[in-house]
Formats: sequence, C-alpha cells, structure tokens
Amino acid sequence: MTVLSSERLGSPADLEGKRRQWRERSRSCTKRVRVCIGPGCLAKGSLALYELFNQAVAEAGADVQVEAKGVGCHGLCERGPIVIVEPGEIFYQRVEEPDVAEIFRETVVGGRVIERLLYEDPDTGAKARTAQDIPFYKAQMRIALGHSGLIDPTSIEDYIALEGYAALAKALAAMTPEQVLAQVERSGLRGRGGGGFPTARKWRSCRNAPGQPKYVICNGDEGDPGAFMDRAIMEGNPHAILEGMAIGAYAIGSSQGYIYVRNEYPISVERLKEAIQQAEQLGLLGQDILGTGFSFDIRINRGGGAFVCGESTALMASLEGRPGEPRAKYVHTVESGLRGKPTNLNNVETWANVPAVINRGGEWFASIGTETSKGTKVFSLVGKIENTGLVEVPMGITLRRIIEEIGGGIPGGKAFKAVQTGGPSGGCIPAEHLDTAVDFDELTKLGSMMGSGGMIVMDEDTCMVNVARYFLNFLHAESCGKCTPCREGLAQMLAILDRITHGEGRQGDVERLEELADLLEGTALCALGKTAANPVLSTIRYFRDEYDAHILQQRCPAKECRGLFRYEIDPEACKACGLCLKDCPVDAISGGKKVPHVIDQGKCTRCGTCLDKCPFGAVLKV
Amino acid sequence: MPTVTIDGIRVQVETGATILDAARKAGIWIPTLCYHPAVSPQATCRLCMVELDRGDWKQLVTSCNYPVRRDIEVSVSSARAVAARRGVMQLLLARAPENEQLKALAERMGVEGTPYPTVTTSQRDCILCGLCTAICAEVLGRSAIAFSGRGPERAVTTPFRQPAEDCIGCGACALVCPVGTIQIRMHEEEGEIEISPFKTRTKMLACQECGAPVGSVLVLKEALDRAPMHRESLAELTRLCPRCRRKRTAARLTEGRTLAAQAGYVAGTKKAE
Repeated sequence: MTVLSSERLGSPADLEGKRRQWRERSRSCTKRVRVCIGPGCLAKGSLALYELFNQAVAEAGADVQVEAKGVGCHGLCERGPIVIVEPGEIFYQRVEEPDVAEIFRETVVGGRVIERLLYEDPDTGAKARTAQDIPFYKAQMRIALGHSGLIDPTSIEDYIALEGYAALAKALAAMTPEQVLAQVERSGLRGRGGGGFPTARKWRSCRNAPGQPKYVICNGDEGDPGAFMDRAIMEGNPHAILEGMAIGAYAIGSSQGYIYVRNEYPISVERLKEAIQQAEQLGLLGQDILGTGFSFDIRINRGGGAFVCGESTALMASLEGRPGEPRAKYVHTVESGLRGKPTNLNNVETWANVPAVINRGGEWFASIGTETSKGTKVFSLVGKIENTGLVEVPMGITLRRIIEEIGGGIPGGKAFKAVQTGGPSGGCIPAEHLDTAVDFDELTKLGSMMGSGGMIVMDEDTCMVNVARYFLNFLHAESCGKCTPCREGLAQMLAILDRITHGEGRQGDVERLEELADLLEGTALCALGKTAANPVLSTIRYFRDEYDAHILQQRCPAKECRGLFRYEIDPEACKACGLCLKDCPVDAISGGKKVPHVIDQGKCTRCGTCLDKCPFGAVLKV
Repeated sequence: MPTVTIDGIRVQVETGATILDAARKAGIWIPTLCYHPAVSPQATCRLCMVELDRGDWKQLVTSCNYPVRRDIEVSVSSARAVAARRGVMQLLLARAPENEQLKALAERMGVEGTPYPTVTTSQRDCILCGLCTAICAEVLGRSAIAFSGRGPERAVTTPFRQPAEDCIGCGACALVCPVGTIQIRMHEEEGEIEISPFKTRTKMLACQECGAPVGSVLVLKEALDRAPMHRESLAELTRLCPRCRRKRTAARLTEGRTLAAQAGYVAGTKKAE
C-alpha cells in the first residue's frame, strides 16, 4: 500500500497539480517490473514473485533505479503469472520463482530479453516480445479494464497520474447533472450486469423520482460460474468504480453509495476499502469534493453467499439486513428501492465505464460497437479453450474471433461444439452461429444472452444434456425458494434431466421440459426464475438430437453420461501391461501376460479408471 | 380513480389498489393461496396470475400485488393466464398431493390432478406461501417462525427448530394457513397449547370458576398490555372462560339494577321489564 503524503485537494486545479507531480515522479523512474496480481496470476503464486522482485530492488542498491509494482489483471490468465518489464514492455509469461533473479539480472539491469520466458505462438512458434505481438491482445480494446495492468490498484497516485478522477473533476466543475446525463445518454451505455438496460434512462428515472435521500449502488455480487470480470475490475482498477459512482451520484442527486461485494471476494473488499480510504483522504470522496460543494460517501457491504443477491431487489433486501429474497418489480427500484427510497443500481463494469464516457465524450463511446450495443464488453473466457482469461472486446465482434483469434481455439485438436454465454441463465450457442456479432440483441435472438460476461467454451466431448443439467442444478440450489414456479418447477425439471442423463428418459420428456420452461418464464417472481430454463431451452433448440439419443437409444453421443456408453479395450492397441487389470475396482478386467485384456461388461461400473490408467490409449469409450 | 377492465367488465378502484381488489369488486373470482388482507401481499404462490395488456405486448402479473396506477386492461380468462394458473397449481399439487384444501381449490379451478411426481420434501404438506411467517412478523411482531434454508431446502421453522421462546401460542399462523397444515392442539391434561408442527407449547389458563380452558397465558398477557381498558377489571374478566364471564356480567347487571331500584332510580329499565 502506498502511504499518502498528500492532504485534501481543495479544487480541480489542485488535482491537476498533483497529477503533474505524480506523473513526473513516475517518469523519473524508467525501469519498472510490473507483476500481475489479478485473480488468475494471484492463484498461481504471483504475490511471492512480487515480493521477490521487491527484495531484488532493495538489494540492488541506490544506483539502480527500479520499481517493482503489483498490477491488475492482464487478461491472459492461462499464461500467468505474467511479469512485464519496462522499458520495452517485455512480456514474460509463466514466470516462476527461480526466474526472478534471472529477469532482474538480465532484463532489468542488463536490458537483455530472456527468450525462454517469452510467449510462443503455438501454431507458428514465433516469439512475442510485447503484449501487442500476441494475437490474444490484438483484437482487444480496453475501456472498463482501463489501466488495470498498468497501475498499482492500491495506489491512488498511480490512478491519478493516468487521468484518474479527471472525469469527476470535469463533471463537478464544468457540467450540470443534466449535461452529465446527456453525455451518458449519447454514449448509448447499457447495463453490463445482464439486462442491458440503458444506463442514462435508469439514472434519469431515479433523478426524477420523488423522495430523498437517493441511493446509488454498485452490484459486485458476481456469482456466475466461471465469471470473474467484476472481480478483476474491483481488484485491478477499483478507483474507476468509485469515480464512476461519484459521477453517477452527481447526475442523479445522491450523496450516499453502497458497493455490495460477494463475501467470497475478500481481496476485492480489501482493495475497495483501501481505495475509498485514499479517495476520502484526498477529498475525492466525502464532504465538499474538490471544493465544489458536492458530497458523496461510499460504504462497502459484503454479501452472504447467495447467488440470488445479485438480483437488484434481493440485493437491496440483503443491504437492509433482511433475507436476500427478491420482490416484485411492479414498482421499480428507481422509484422505491433501498429503504423505500429511489435507488439506482448498476453493475461494477457499468460504473467502471462512466469515467471514460465523461473524459472522452459520449460520441466517442458510441462510435465503438454496434447500432444497439455501444462500447466494449469484458468476457471471462473459460472452458475448453487455449487461452483462458479475461478479454475486453468492442461490441459487435464475432464469437468466432473471440474464440479462435483471441482464445486461440480449442486445445488438443478437438472440435468446437458450443459456447455458453450469459451465465447460468444464458444459453448455448452452436458452431453454426459462431459468426454472430456479439451484442445484447443478437445474443438474445439466439436464445442466449449477454449476461454479465461469462463465456464457457465446450468441445466435442461435452454432453449438452449434461451441460443443461449442470446449470439447472446450480440454479435449483441457488433459487431462494420464495415462489412456487422457481422452487418446484426447477426441481421437476432437474428430476427429468437427471432421469435422461441416467438413461431413464421417456418419450415426452423434452416436451414436458419445454412446458415447464414456459411456465417458469411466465410466472416466476424474479429474473433468476424467469430465465432459469434458458440453458435447457437453448440446448433443446440446437442439440435436440443429443436429447433424443439419450431418451430413445440410452446413448450419450459425447460419451460423458455415465452408464450411457461402455469401455472397451482395443485388442490391437493393448500391450497387456496389466495396469488397468490391477486398478479395476470391481475386477471386471481379465487377461494375462501377452493376452490382450477384456472388460466384462456385466461387472463394469463404468468408473473410467482403466481409461485413465492405460498408457497406450487402448481403452476406448464406445 | 383509474378504471380496470377485467374480462370486459369495467370497475373503478383507488389508485394503488391491486388487480385482485378490482377483480373482487367486479365479482370475478381469481384463485389465491398466499393472499390475506391482514398482511402485505406475499406474491409467492403465483396462483393469481392474470394477463395484463400493455398495448404492444402482454405480460403475466400476479393480481394480488400489482398496483393499479392508471387505466389498465386485464384478462383473467385468457388461455395464457388460465394455463399459467393451472401450471402453478399442478406444481403445488405435486408438492402436497394429499392436501384436501389444495385438492378442493384445484377442483374449483378445473385442475384434475398433477402430471408431476413429488420431488420436494423440505416440509410435508406445506406450500411455503409465507402467510404464517408474515402474520407472526407483521401483525404479532413476534417472528417466532420464519423461513429457513434456501430453494429446495426452504421450510418454515422456529429458530434452530427448537420450541420458540417468542411464540405466545396465539394460533394466528394456524388461522391464516390456507391449506390447514398448521394446527392448534390442546393438551388439556398438561394444561398446554401446542402449535403444530412447530412443537411450541404455551401454558393454558384455566377458568377460575369452572376450570375450562380460556386460552394461552401469554396471549392474555399480551391482550392486557395492548387493550386500552382498565387493567384490573380486564384481568379479572380474562381469568374466566366465556361462559363464566357471561354469567358474571349478567350477575353484575342484575346486582346493579337491584341497587338502582333500591335507590329509586328507574329510568331506562321500564321497557326491558
């Protein structure tokens, strides 16, 4: 953490003065090691690297001017931990502790590049020296992730040196709330949390709603399986969220904000807390911000671990200290939200976009993206994909470019089968729609949705019925149980899918699933229930043949559902080594020395141990 | 006052009244389970779905909590609304297949049984409508019972499933339970009242005169605290069962009249005699 030497900034001019000063100071140090401490790299032990670099800096002595810095997510988590060395922006990947000394000696002090640690293109074998030479980064565009990866998320000085809080100063000093609203309106920014509701319209409704005080809320209850976009922003660029919220509060006429962070994100809470403290210390939050008379406070609330608390009304109930259950939205939260007062809730990524909209103008933002979806969107690209990580792309880019160009395609030479977008309430999009432009409306047309930005790639070995069952099971467990259709309907659907994946499907099951899906969509209380059937509906729509194979032939085409395929040993490939025979837990395998082994299908429980053990690939799923 | 057009019948209601209010005014029946005028709308059972015409699109809404704020057109009998209510009822029947009240309501709705098996068993015979917890919290201010667990685990329970200290044995939960799952059980030999299935028991007050059960001691205490009456005389009355109370009141009246007659005061008594 940076210890602040500064006192309150009394005016926008003060802020500019400090910006110049901190920018100069940062320029005076030309050598810098940036260690990614985003979620992915952190999990791979990057904090230890950061400490080792710091140690190396300390030991190097005063004549070597170097700074080691922990920075937010770079995106290419697959290749983490990532370390970047300035000058030259040398991009080192999969750095391990023993590499630190070498990097410091060779690159930082000596200015030489270590080829071994560079990114190597798996197709061409070409080495990339900087991030911009890596295909993963070429099609990307960073707005919401902003300077995450460049700045130390625990340092407000870093943020300010790179245009930080300039948008807030501009809004407070030179714009009326109406003008701020107009810019956001012109930008075409839509909510990044899933619904895609026009941000300016929400702000305006809240501004116009009678009642005081008004509240603004940042929804950081990211809970979709496989999604970590919001976490990366909270941990890599927390001040952008605070700045966005302050601008929104000014436009709406609010002086109190809340950030609701899921309890499983302790680092996010820590970083945000620190960021709020720093901003308050400099007078960028709190009373009379920058001497403009505008006051705004932000409090952090931690969630209790319920997925449904990401739903706005459930979140507000939870904030009030009540059980996190949704209520009907016939009266919108912008009219009657937290404590019955007008409340404007936006997602982390939406707030993080706001400073850029004000700094560079709504027109600029609207120039990026498609007709109905402007700007960029952050996706967490996970599943059966070469480059697992976090990507930010302009709206309108095709799914194919995200998966093939940025994601590097499917590992192991497998074929692509589907991509699941929109979190557990989203849908699965098959190969024939890979050229669809990614925007709110196009994804909805395909029976999926943008959601908050989870993107799970599946290959040919993935059973789509099982995928539907997986997501339904998740929602069934996470349903609050308040309303009948969600609680009972999901349980019924899950029971049907359980039967199908166990080879006990019946004719008419698919139709019954569709009927229940329709009932849920029409009658469930909140968006969780209304959209819960999407994974089922979209897999029925595009992969009906897999359902039929399970139901009519008791066969799982992807050979994933246990019991719906068998293991056999290829006598040609079997070397009669005895490994499978020895490890089979039910003694279903027979054979001897130089006698190819055979599985007794009557005894086999299809546990798959033989497949895992066989060193020759002789065990087959049939 | 906004006008609500329900299945072609036009009624005017106060702004903020619900579609259900309007339907009742129009004499149109909409099945409900979790609605009770004593508490705020729960909107959990989803049985009262109707179709709201929004001009360019139609939306299913729950009539019990949809506030009428302008002129609206609603259909109770549209195919989509009927199918929605039927579907919800089928799910409820799967949950509590033996429940007589539920079966009777289903029959009135024209729903013949359910195609679904029973797969949720968190609380037997309970449809989790929330009326009991709502009346305990909103009207009694007790919250002796509340929901615990999430989704498939959801159940109405006392804290930690132990007999609730906050339960005064008033039986309001049993009174509002639309499917008769909550029952008041009298244990006369132990002098206790039990609220089933929560296993909470409270002491029963026996009539001072005849020994018949008067009610829960805690309820009477609560009544004494709340009633705007002379405490002592009320306390005296509450120690009697209704029958003995009538007797005592009558005796007092007679006594009073005798005293009045002795004092030569006769006004107002002539007609009665």
